[in-house]
Formats: sequence, structure tokens, C-alpha cells
Amino acid sequence: MPGQSEAAVRFDAVTKRFGDVVALDDVSLDIGRGEFMTLLGPSGCGKTTLLRLAAGFLGPDAGSIAIDGKCVNQLPTYKREIGMMFQNYALFPHMSVADNIAYGLKTRHVPRQECRKRVGDVLALVKLAGMEDRRPRQLSGGQQQRVALARALVINPTVLLLDEPFSALDKNLRAAMQVELREIQRTLGLTTIFVTHDQSEALSLSDRMAVMSEGKIRQLGTPLEVYRTPRDRFVASFVGDTNRLRGRLVSVDATGAVIALGAARMKVPAEPFSGRGASSAVDLFVRPEQLRLVNSAEPCAMTGRIAAQVYQGGHVDLQIDCSGHDRLLLRSAGDQALMRWPLGTEVGIAIDAEGCTAFPAE
Amino acid sequence: MNQRPFLRSFTAPAALCALGFVAAMAAVLQYSLRAYVPGSLDPGGFTLANFADLLKPLYARVFLDTVGICALTAIATLLVGYPLAYALVRIAHPLLKSALLVVVVTPLFLGEVVRTYAWIIVLGNNGFINSLLRGLGLIDQPIQLMFTTFGVVVALVHVTLPVLVIMLAAALSHIDRDYQRAAESLGAGPIRVFLTVTLPLSMPGVIAGVTTAFAWTFSAFATPQLIGGGRVNMISNLVYQLGFASFNFPFAAALCVAGLALTITVLAILRQAAKPFENIGAH
Amino acid sequence: MTPRSTYQRMLGWGGRCVVSLILAFLLLPAIVVTIAAFNDKAILSFPPQAWSWRWFARALDYPDFREGFHNGLIVTAWASTIALMVGAMFAFVIDRYSFPLKRAIEGVLVSPLVIPHFTVGLGFLILAAQIGWSRGFAVVIACHVILVLPFVLRSVYVSLRNLDQSFEQAAASLGATPLRVLLTVTLPLLLPGLVSGWLFAAILSFNEFTASLFVTSQRTQTLPVAMYNYVREFADPSMAALSVMYIVATAALIAFANAFLGLGKVLNIEQSE
Repeated sequence: MPGQSEAAVRFDAVTKRFGDVVALDDVSLDIGRGEFMTLLGPSGCGKTTLLRLAAGFLGPDAGSIAIDGKCVNQLPTYKREIGMMFQNYALFPHMSVADNIAYGLKTRHVPRQECRKRVGDVLALVKLAGMEDRRPRQLSGGQQQRVALARALVINPTVLLLDEPFSALDKNLRAAMQVELREIQRTLGLTTIFVTHDQSEALSLSDRMAVMSEGKIRQLGTPLEVYRTPRDRFVASFVGDTNRLRGRLVSVDATGAVIALGAARMKVPAEPFSGRGASSAVDLFVRPEQLRLVNSAEPCAMTGRIAAQVYQGGHVDLQIDCSGHDRLLLRSAGDQALMRWPLGTEVGIAIDAEGCTAFPAE
Repeated sequence: MNQRPFLRSFTAPAALCALGFVAAMAAVLQYSLRAYVPGSLDPGGFTLANFADLLKPLYARVFLDTVGICALTAIATLLVGYPLAYALVRIAHPLLKSALLVVVVTPLFLGEVVRTYAWIIVLGNNGFINSLLRGLGLIDQPIQLMFTTFGVVVALVHVTLPVLVIMLAAALSHIDRDYQRAAESLGAGPIRVFLTVTLPLSMPGVIAGVTTAFAWTFSAFATPQLIGGGRVNMISNLVYQLGFASFNFPFAAALCVAGLALTITVLAILRQAAKPFENIGAH
Repeated sequence: MTPRSTYQRMLGWGGRCVVSLILAFLLLPAIVVTIAAFNDKAILSFPPQAWSWRWFARALDYPDFREGFHNGLIVTAWASTIALMVGAMFAFVIDRYSFPLKRAIEGVLVSPLVIPHFTVGLGFLILAAQIGWSRGFAVVIACHVILVLPFVLRSVYVSLRNLDQSFEQAAASLGATPLRVLLTVTLPLLLPGLVSGWLFAAILSFNEFTASLFVTSQRTQTLPVAMYNYVREFADPSMAALSVMYIVATAALIAFANAFLGLGKVLNIEQSE
């Protein structure tokens, strides 16, 4: 239908300034119904600002924000149908768990009987059945998390907003909560905007992710797209571990560009190199799992020496010193690498011919 | 080597001060139990007559009046002070905030006499209010504001306001902003957010402020003396009159002791009222 | 630039009106007194018909005021300094050590916060009479020390609580004796708290009225007592002039303290947001 947008949330050319600082610079983003969208970036990139604009705690200086097709620029927070989870949970300390969760229902004038039922149902959903009468301070961190989630879910919001909700949890709890959140979100088909600076969290949870820096979206895509084909050097180095190597451009055509490093030749996407001449310097971005170790005598990209072994249980990270480059990080599954490549060994580095990315050298 | 250096030398002066103070209070207690010898500054033998006299309607009335004035002042100060404390905390502009803070804090350091005196000029029959109303043609005869309970309470509220606003502002500022945001995100309008989140979470501060306001007002002397002019008497004024006009120090001392008992009782009651709110704010 | 509904906007303006009215209430006496101080006539009427500086001159010349000011300075200087020393030392031991009677002494010294000043004044008056203490400066100073001690105690205690003990521990690990640590590390770090505590005590002592009324004599009258006696006898604007000078001096002092110490921090009002 003309004029009817599919997007559950739409940011259209949004700009936000704080004094002299431009927090968001002409940002546009569409989030589909039921989509789990992650805003990822370092602190100061504007991801939290974008979330707050969606929530209504801030108003844009330029551009518009629409929820469910309706422009909400002037709409105050309490009239938007959002559910929000805060970094420190913000559970009302003077209310019981049940009262906390029922708060959003009371503002919507839901009758008491129905309130009680819905509170019970959502507590069961987050696996906290029976905790109605506890106080927040009596709960563990993980339990407070779930109550905060329940409070946001029970009101059936149009969009769920999450502001780094897991940053205060320890690693195991975080992993468990991430899985649970995703399951619940899928079951309910809830449009979700998730803010984090943890790229592994973003990769594991999102349907799509927006990598942001300095007030702009650098790349928007599925986790696979962002990881495999980063669009610029920021995304390449921010998302996932990466090694940056200096190589040379050999040739460019429609199918791709060829980069030379030592005896190795790698095929990379051509877009960054339009108009560049052969032999120009190139920054090659290689993931740790795209490197292989070979005997130093064999033809390879370069040689180096094993500087450190970092045993990680399921895999071994090897750090290799090569002259003329930063220290390399190489990932090897299992633990054979500990024996096969002891400290100080001279090794040759081979790079996968396909799958790397490269950008003109700065 | 002494594990706790300075302990004795640092505690001694304080202990000495404490002893001196206890001695002064004991002196009051002692005098309250001795007879009044008219015409002499020295008290007579031990007796409970002073406390018996306290029960006379004349003095009982002063007690009730004092409690009434203190309670009225404390409540009025709270009603007037809460919006001010809220504004002080919510204002973002640093210059405006500093200016407001200076305006609120300065009266605290002016002393009773200066502030009461200023109110005399405001409330007097030829003072500001009456002149203004006369000038606007609203009244012909001056409204009597001096020497009334109303005048005394207004001035007392003005005197107590800064300290209550400061205590309340401190309490309000420590309430995490995210609670308000969470409430808004759940659909609560501004009034509901205030009534269900901000106000309950500020209760410990409110009770602390009201308690302090009550204790301060009870201690007030210059304000009821100058504005009450003898017609509005609080316990403080009575003590002074008895001591310096009649030289009836024993009875004055008895009044002090009774007044102290009253204050302690009220404070204990307020403390009990604070109990249910004590655990709020714990994260 | 938060999005607001019309309802919120109206509430906002209503709130501003209420706060403005309250501020007007707060400032009214100061403004009125300032205008009255410039009244040429000797009667305390409002508004003034003619304007003059003469009451300021009279206030500055009046011997009782000058003596009161002088006496006040003596009492305040002694009382706040003694209170600072006693209070700082005791706050130190409260913070660091536990010992029998600690709570008892602390309780006694903090109690003047809830004990009316007229009771404290009467107590010292009677005590002085009983032990034959003459009604000179000593009694007044002692009384003031007791009255301001709670404030000094709290101020220094809060500073001590915020002090990171690792500095002192580092000094000790480098061989400094407890006394040396105290003088070269603890004291300098506590300085802001000590200064603000002293300042607070000094201002409170200088302006203290009720207890002073009981314990001062004709000879040792402090300024507030002198002002009180003046008001009871005379009705001319000299007091108004004096009040204006008082207000200006105090406001300047507070603004100064705010600029350098940050009043918000001293009063424990969070600054963020």
C-alpha cells in the first residue's frame, strides 16, 4: 500500500547534537516487525542516543522517528507503547516483584484480576514463578534481570528497547540470559532494539546489526554479512578479532581485486579499489582462523616466530612476531598446536586465498 | 608499638567537652528540683513543686501552643519546601542552579535576629504587606499580622525553609533518574510518576527534614519573642521571662526539662514513622 | 529537548510559577529590609518617602554594635578554633578506632542538634553560677564550642570517610611514623573538610543568638544580642542598615564558597544529570 511502511520502527535522517558534539549525524534505519536489531559500537558512537530517541527521553534536532508508521517526534515517553530494560534494571525498590511488573498494567487501567493473571503468566515465562511477593533487594542479579524483562514484556509493547542489559552479569549467566531472551523474543515476535558494545553478543543475538561509530552507521547487515564482508576498516577491526597486514594491489576487475603479500595471492571484494592503480599499498584484514602455519621453508605470505601460546580450552591462540608487521593472532582448534608449534619456532604464515577483506592503505 | 596511636590524646579533649556539657545539663536538672526563693538568685531546698506547677492550665497551654506551632511550621515548611527542593535538583542550567542554591543557603547564615527583624518590617501595621494592600486600595485599616500566631508561623517557616530544602534536595538528588525513566517507559504520566515513584523514594529525606524542622522550630526564640511580642508564647520565651524577669530559675529549669522530654518524645514518634521507609533505596 | 505533551508543558509552567512564588517569599524580607534601610525618616514605615545613607553611618558608629561585633569576633575565633581541634581529633578516633564509651561521648556531643539552645544557654548559666565561674568570655566560648561541635564533627567525619586510606598506608610502608603520616599526609588531604568545617562553625557561632542571650553579660554581648536589645528599644532603620550589610556580606561569602568549594558537594547534593 502506498505510504504504509513495513517498518516497525523507522529513523529518518535523524541528527542529534549535545552542545558542540554531534552524537548522531543524519542516521536512517528501518527495523522490521519482529526483528532483533542490535546497535553495536564503542562508547560515544551514538547507539545509546539512538535508543533514547526511540524511547522518547530525547527529541531529535533534525529528522523524524516513526513507530508503527506514526511519527513520534513530539510524543512523550509515557504515551509510546514501548517496553524498556535498563542497564541497572531500575526495579522500584519500594515495590514487590508483582507490583513492579504490574506497574505498566496499572497505568493502562487493567483490572486487578487480569493484572494478577498476567503477572503470574509472565513470571512463569521468565522462570520466576512464585516470586510475586519478594522485594528486588532480596533477588540475585540474574533474578532482577528477569523481573526487569518481565516488567517490560507484560505490557505487550510495540517495540522492546534494551540498554546493555547484560553488562553487569558474569559470563556464564550472561550467556544463559542471552539464549533465554532470544527464545522469548522469537516466541512473542517482539520487535527489539538491543544496544551493546560487546561484538560477540551482537553477533550471537541479532537478526541484523548496525555497526556504529562517531554518530554514523558504518554497516547494516546480518551478523554473517558484517563479519565476512565488512564494508570499511572500522567494521573490519571492530567486529571480531582481526589481523591487519600490509600488502600490494596486483589487479582489479569486476570479479574482485587481487592482493599480493610475499608469495601469497588473495582475492578480495573490488569495491574499495575502484580507480586505484596496481602496486598501490593495501591494508589486508585477515581473521585469525584464516591463517595457517606452514614450514618456514615453504612458499608463504611471510615468516615469523612463535611469541606466545594462549591456551583457551577448546582452541589455542598463537601470537606470532613477524618483522614489518604487528603481532599476528592465529586461532587453532583443539590443542595440537601446543605441541606442534612450541615457543620460539620459526614458522611460515599462509593465508586463505578467499574470504579476506582489504582497503587502500591509509 | 601502640596499635592505636593518638587514641588517648585525641579522645581526652572531646571527653572533657562531653563532661562539661553533661554537667551543664545536670545543673538544669538539679535546679528544676529545687525551690524558688523569691527575691534571691539562690535556690532553696529539694522539691517537686516546679513540676507540679507545670500542670497548671496556664503552662500546659504554652506547651500545647508550642507543639502546635512547631507542627504547623514543620508541615507548612514541607509543603513550601518540597517544590523548591525538587526544582533545585531538576534544574540543569549550572548558573541557575548555583544562583538558586546561594539564595536558599544564605538565609541560613544570617542568624535569627536579622531574619526576624526583616519580617517585622514586612508584617508591621506600617510595613510592607499593609502598605501594599493599602496602596492597591484593597483595605482601609491595616491587617493585624504582628503579635499573631499567623505572623509567628510565617516567619518561622521562612527561618526553617533553608535547612529543610537542603536536606530534601540531598535526598532527592540521590534517587536514580532511571526509576523515573522506567516508570515513564511503562506508561506513567508525570503526576503518577511523582506520586508512585519520586515521593515514596524521597520519604526518608522527608522525615529527616521534618524532624529537623521540628527540632529547630522548638529551639526558636527571637522569632516568637519579637513577632509574638508577648502575646504568642512558646516554651523558649517562657523560660527567658521566668529566668530574667522573675529570676525564677528553678521553674525555668523545670520548663527546660519538660520541654526536652517533649522533644525527645516527638522525635521518637517520628523515628518510628520512618521505620517502614528505611529499606528503600537499597539496591 | 525531550518530547513533551501539552499536559506536561502546562505542568512545567505551573511548577515554575509555584517555585517563583516561593522564591519571592524567600527573598521578600531581604528586599524589604534593604529598601527600608535607605529610608530618610526615623520611623519604620514602608515605603520610604525620602532616601538616605545615614542609617548605615549610624549603624557603623553605634558603640553597642561595634562592641558587639568585636566581642563576637573574639568568641567566634576562639570557639570555632577550639571546636575544630577537638572535633577533628575526635572525628579521627571515631572513624578509625572502636573503644568503650565511644558511642556515649559521640552521642553527648551530637545531642545539641536536638536540644534547644535556650536549654543549653540556661544550663551553662546555672553551671557557671554554681561553680563560681564569672560571666566572662570563657563561659560564652565554652557554650559556643558545645553548640558548633556537632557540625564540625560531621564535616570532618565525612571528609575522613571519603579519604582513601591507601595514601597513609603507602606513607607508613615508606617508613613514616604515625605522627609524621598524620602531619604530612592525612592533614593536607583533609584540609578542604577542615576549612569548610571551621567556616561553618564560625558563621554559626557568630550568628548564634538564643544561648548567647542567656550566657552573655553586658560586657560580653555579642552582635546578635546587641541587635536584639536595640530592636526592643528603638524603631529606627539602623537595624535595617545593619541587616543589609549582614546580608550582603553573607551572600558574598556563600557565593564565594560555592565558586571555590562547590556548595552542592559540601551539602551532599548530587551534581550529575
